[in-house]
Amino acid sequence: MPSMGFVQQLGIGALTTIQVAVCAYLLAMAIGIVFALATLRRRWLTQLIWVPYASIFTGVPSLLVAFLFYYGGSEIVSSVLAPFGVSQSIEITPFMAAVAALGMVYGAYLADLIRSAIQNVPHGQFEAARVLLVPRTTIWLRVILPQMLRLALPGMTNMWIVVLKDTALVSLIGLKEIMAYAKLASGVTKEPFIYYMLASAFFLAMTWLTYYVARNVEQWAGRGFHPVVAKGASHAL
Amino acid sequence: MSAILSNVAMSQTSAARGQMSAVSISGLNKFYGTFHALRDIDLEVASGEIVVLCGPSGSGKSTLIRCINHLEQHDAGQIHVSGIKLTRRQDDVEKVRRELGMVFQNFNLFPHMTVLANCTFALKLAMRIAEKEAEAIAQEYLAKVNVAEQAHKYPIQLSGGQQQRVAIARALCLKPRIMLFDEPTSALDPESVGSVLRIMEDLAQTGITMICVTHEMGFARRVADRCVFMERGEIVEAGPADTFFDSPSSERLRNFLDKVL
Amino acid sequence: MHFDPQVAWDSLPKLLAGTLTTFTVLLPVLVLGLLLALPIALARFKPGPRSVLAAAYIGFFRGVPSLVLLYLIYSGLPQFSLVRETFLWNVFSNAYVCAWIGLALTHSGFMAEIIRGGLAAVPQGTLEAAATLGLKPRQILFRLRLPMAARYVLRAYQNELLIMVKSTAAVSAITLVDLTAAANTVFDYTYDPFTPLMTAAAIYWCITNGIRLAFSAADRKFNRYLVRA
Repeated sequence: MPSMGFVQQLGIGALTTIQVAVCAYLLAMAIGIVFALATLRRRWLTQLIWVPYASIFTGVPSLLVAFLFYYGGSEIVSSVLAPFGVSQSIEITPFMAAVAALGMVYGAYLADLIRSAIQNVPHGQFEAARVLLVPRTTIWLRVILPQMLRLALPGMTNMWIVVLKDTALVSLIGLKEIMAYAKLASGVTKEPFIYYMLASAFFLAMTWLTYYVARNVEQWAGRGFHPVVAKGASHAL
Repeated sequence: MSAILSNVAMSQTSAARGQMSAVSISGLNKFYGTFHALRDIDLEVASGEIVVLCGPSGSGKSTLIRCINHLEQHDAGQIHVSGIKLTRRQDDVEKVRRELGMVFQNFNLFPHMTVLANCTFALKLAMRIAEKEAEAIAQEYLAKVNVAEQAHKYPIQLSGGQQQRVAIARALCLKPRIMLFDEPTSALDPESVGSVLRIMEDLAQTGITMICVTHEMGFARRVADRCVFMERGEIVEAGPADTFFDSPSSERLRNFLDKVL
Repeated sequence: MHFDPQVAWDSLPKLLAGTLTTFTVLLPVLVLGLLLALPIALARFKPGPRSVLAAAYIGFFRGVPSLVLLYLIYSGLPQFSLVRETFLWNVFSNAYVCAWIGLALTHSGFMAEIIRGGLAAVPQGTLEAAATLGLKPRQILFRLRLPMAARYVLRAYQNELLIMVKSTAAVSAITLVDLTAAANTVFDYTYDPFTPLMTAAAIYWCITNGIRLAFSAADRKFNRYLVRA
C-alpha cells in the first residue's frame, strides 16, 4: 500500500512536471512563431540560422541538450553576456535547464508545424482581406490566425503531450519532479511498482485531459468548416 | 408483375436451356439495414450470352453484379455460377470468383506496380504460374487491348481509357468464363469511352459470357443479346435487345428510354 | 564555451562504445515493436472486444513515457516474488532485456497507430480488385495491402524512427551506458562538460541525418509510381 506521505510528494512532483512542461511549451511556441514567420519566405540569411538550428535540435536527444544546458549553462550565459560587458554569472537550476532544453528542441518542431499551417491557409484569404482594405495587423490577427489555428491544432496538441512526456526523461538531470519522487519513494519503501504505476496514471490522466480539452478547442477553431452531414444511408447501388 | 416479366426473360433462353447456365440467380434479396436494395431478383444468363443491365441510379444494378462475385453479401435467395452455388464459405466464394472476371468503374489498378506487373500479379499469386510464363500471357492480353507499349509504365502515366483497358486485360489474363462490367466507361472522358467500348465489342465476339452495367445504350443495342431494365431494386422488364429498344412493353421502361435516348 | 579537440579524440573509444550500446538497444526494439504492432493494428479493423483491447493498449503505451515503463519493468517487476524466484529472474534481471521490452512496448503503441493509418489509406477498390482476381485474404494482406500501406507511411515511420533513436537515452536510467551516459562519464573525469556532450551530439546528428538520407532514397525508389512525368 502506498504511504500517503509519498503520494503527497508525488503530487508535488507532478505539479513541478506540469510547470516545467507549460513553461517549456510556451517557450517553444514563442521560438516556433518567430521562426515560422521568419522562414515564410526563403531568404538566405534566415535559412543560415534556421537550418543548422533545426537540424541540430531535432537531431539530438533532448536529454543531451538538457545536460549541456545544466552543466555548461552558466558558462554559456556568461560568454553570451560578456560582449555586452555584463559579468553576472547566473546559476542554472535543473528547472531552467529543462525548460530551456525542451523549449529549444520543440521550438524547432513547432516552427515547422506553424509555418505549414500558415502556408495552408488559402492565399485567397490574404487577397480578399487586402482588397477590402483591412489593415495588415488586423489581417494577421483576425483573418489568418484563427484559420491557421484550426490547421495547427492537432499537431500542437500532439506536441504538448510529447513535451509533457519528455519532461519525465529530462528529469534525469536532477530535476525534482514526479519521476524523481517516485524513484525516491521506491527506494525507501521497496515497493517501486505502485509508485511507478501512480506516475503512469498521472501521465495517462494528463493525456486524457489534453484530448478532452483539445476536442473542444478544435471544435471551436473549426467553426464554419464543418457543415452538418446528413445522417442517412448512402449506398453503392 | 416482375414475376411475369422475368418468366418472359427465362422463356427467351429456353433455347439455351440445353447448356448449363453461366449465372443463375433466383429469389435474390439484399438489405442495407432497413433499405431493401434488391427485391426478389430472378435472372438466368446462358453461357456465351451478352446481358446488359440498365436503369436509373440507385436501381440496384451495381449491387446485383457485386453480389454475383460476393463483393456484397446477399441476404436471401440463391446464386449459382457455372453450376457452383455461392455460399458464405470462403472455399465456395473462391471457386465462384475463379469463373468470374470483373472490371470496375474506377479501374482499381494497383498504383505502385507497372502495367505488366498489374497483370502478372494474380497470375503468379493466385494461379501459381511462373514469372516468365506469366509475363508472356500478360503481354499477349495487353496486346489484345492495344496497350502493349505501355507495359513498363505506371498506371498514373496512362490515360483513363488506357488504364481501363489494362484493367480489362488484367481480368482476362486469368481466362474467366464470365466477365462482369460495373459501369466501365462512366469515369472516362468522352474520347476514351470509344476505345474501351471497342475492346468490349471485340470481346463479345469471342463467345465469352458478359454481364454489363452501363449507360451506353448504343453499345447495348449493338452488342447485347438481352437487356434487363431495373428500377428501385427490381427487374421491371427484360428481353432481347431489339424488342427492348424498339417495342418496350412497360411504361417505366418507355419513360427511361425516352430520357436517355 | 569551448571545444577541446584533444579531449574529443581521446574520449572517442568510450563514446563509440556507448553508440554501440545505443544500437544494441535500438535494433531489437524496432523489430520487436513492429512484430507487436502488426496484430494490434489489424485488431482495430474488426469492431468488437479485440478492437477495444487494442485501442487500450495503444492508448496506454502512447500515453506513458518510456522512462516510466523502463522503471516499472526493471525496478518494479522484481518486487514480485513470482519474478524474483522463478526462471523469470534470468529474464528481468538483465537490463538489456528490460530495455528491449520497455522500449518495444512504447514503440509498438506508436507503430500500431501508424500501421493502422496506412492500412486504412489503401483504397477499398484496389482490395476488391485483388479479391476478384482470385487472391486469398492472406495474400491480399501481405502482398498488396501492407506493401501499399508501407509506402503511404514512409514519412511517419521516419519520424517515429528518429524519435526512437533519441528515446534510447532513457536507458541510462537503468544502468545501461548508452551514448548519452558515456558522454556524462567522460565529463565526470575531465570536468569538461562541453566537449564530450557536443561530441556525443555530433554522433547523434550523424545517425539521425544518415537515417534521413536513407529515407529520402527509399522515398525516391518506392514512390516512383506517383510521378506523372
